Amino acid sequence: MSRCQQVGRPILRSLQQGVSSRPCSAALFSTTTSRKEDVVADTSASASEPPPPPPPSSKPIDEEWRQRRLDPNTTTLRWAEKKLIKAGTPPIGSRRRRVAIRTSADIPFEQLPYQAFQEARKILQDDRQEKLDKIVAATARLRFIEQTDPKTLQGGEAMKARRIDSARKYLDELKIQADINDPQVKRRFEDGLGDMSKPIYRHLADRRWREMERKIIVQRINQFFIVPDLLPKFEPTADVKLFFRGEKVAPGEIMDSRITEVPPSLRVQVFDKGERLLSVAVVDADVPNTENDSFDRRCHFLAANIPWDPTKSSLPLSRVAAAGGDVAVPWLPPFSQKGSPYHRLAIFVFEHKDRVDPEHLKKLYGARDGFAVQSFRNATHSSPVGFNMFRSVWDEGTAALMERHNIPGAEIEFKREKYESLKPHRKARGWEAKRQGPKYKFLEKYVKRLA
Amino acid sequence: MASTFSLRAPLQRLFQTPASIRSILTPPSPFATTTPAPRLAAAPFSTSPAPSARNPQRGGKNRSKQPQTDPKIISMKKHLSLLSPRHIPPPLRMARNRHLRHWTVHRAWQLFRRGQREARDRELMRMHQGMYLACEELRQTEGPGTREEGYLYRVAMEKKGVYGHNGVPIEYARMQTETPAREAWNHGWKRTSAP
Repeated sequence: MSRCQQVGRPILRSLQQGVSSRPCSAALFSTTTSRKEDVVADTSASASEPPPPPPPSSKPIDEEWRQRRLDPNTTTLRWAEKKLIKAGTPPIGSRRRRVAIRTSADIPFEQLPYQAFQEARKILQDDRQEKLDKIVAATARLRFIEQTDPKTLQGGEAMKARRIDSARKYLDELKIQADINDPQVKRRFEDGLGDMSKPIYRHLADRRWREMERKIIVQRINQFFIVPDLLPKFEPTADVKLFFRGEKVAPGEIMDSRITEVPPSLRVQVFDKGERLLSVAVVDADVPNTENDSFDRRCHFLAANIPWDPTKSSLPLSRVAAAGGDVAVPWLPPFSQKGSPYHRLAIFVFEHKDRVDPEHLKKLYGARDGFAVQSFRNATHSSPVGFNMFRSVWDEGTAALMERHNIPGAEIEFKREKYESLKPHRKARGWEAKRQGPKYKFLEKYVKRLA
Repeated sequence: MASTFSLRAPLQRLFQTPASIRSILTPPSPFATTTPAPRLAAAPFSTSPAPSARNPQRGGKNRSKQPQTDPKIISMKKHLSLLSPRHIPPPLRMARNRHLRHWTVHRAWQLFRRGQREARDRELMRMHQGMYLACEELRQTEGPGTREEGYLYRVAMEKKGVYGHNGVPIEYARMQTETPAREAWNHGWKRTSAP
């Protein structure tokens, strides 16, 4: 028996006491390691080992045994571990843990015999029942409000709508409250197995997003002046993560032009319930305009009418059509000419109720230049919900990229305009300047030549 | 004193110390009575506690910054620091299931405390409402006898005896001012004449 098995045994024994069917029950009270137990454990571990000449009838049992040993949760055999590692599913946790899992009775988490835990569960269950009763009452109230005639209310139709709205909000809140103290819900959410169609998981995901990721996005919006350069005001409410070629990109990162040649894929997570349509716009906010000595905007990608709900998350911009959306302006790889400062590539995700006509969008924004986010927002009656961004600068690959995509202007280099000084020219002064002439030829070694 | 002498006398006889040193070893000081058991180890010459003794090298200024060297005191301090309110316990390190159980118990405890707090608040609110309604009732009643309306309320609101027998609230003990007094307390005050 290995060391980890020996160490784990006292814990296991205490767990097994209820269901144990050991040959010697006196061994339960001894805390020291006895050889006898080792033998028992070993025989039980290798009980299903097949006899050396396997008869054809017991062949399936043999397979089963091998398979059981190859479970990453319970195996402690060296060969099985090696095999699992090779197969890409390494054994889970420590060997001690695996032994514990294999040899202990499989008690569900809720029934673990810890007194404080069980008492706590009782309190939480009572609370949950209370919340469920409230949910029933709130649902009845919502039904009642929905059936009332708006003429009998003082505020009329608007008042009824407001009451329905607030009753719904209260109901959602209660649904979250009913489940928020459940350890299994917490576990499932932490494992990433939460069902986003349920309000509790949406609530937890929203809270986690707001803890750090949203703060970073808001910081980027402020520090890169997305507000007010592109939109007058903007509060992100949906999580948008950016992936280029399967690699996650931190918001605001400067990307190589060869990497951004292919459209990125987004991971869009909305936190409010219901179906809606999404639009995605990628805007370059820093296209240099030499005539006006300013910067323009350019649309690099525009897609609309992507049906979306909280259970969906992955949105590759190369497969928007497959997701049910319409691509109005296809992907143009971001590029920045030599000498221009970094370009901010802003990715906006909009939300709208009604479908927009992609042909109309093509007509409006097909030229790409001078794309205004506000104009798009007003034209489609949509509201911006998500944001992410990256930056692009001139690099080694940009010239080849522009040639590949027939983008003119790769040879242009932007330079600062030089202005002649308004002050009159002044001769050079100082010790060095004084000793430049032939008179100080003997000091040549020590005097720097001024140009 | 007697016991000290009784043990020191044979010692002195043993070592045969000269009379001049003997007078230093056994000073006729009153502090000798405070040590009932004779200590053979060298007793400190000064009887003041060690921390308050002046350090001749450093002077008296940075006394608090000197490192404590006595291991006994160090260990005592360490154990007492556990009791101090500024002591921050180390973080709990738990495995998954254990942490989930801990979290469950924690949530239940918070819920329980919240229930208690809300019940107490409700009870206090109920009592306050009861008092308020009683006062309102008093304010609207007439009498007794020929008394006008609100008499009972006025009488009930009197604060007679609230500040002690024939007392006044402490706020009235001196003139209320915007700023503190220039002289906060007159220490040299003497009663001018006996009552």
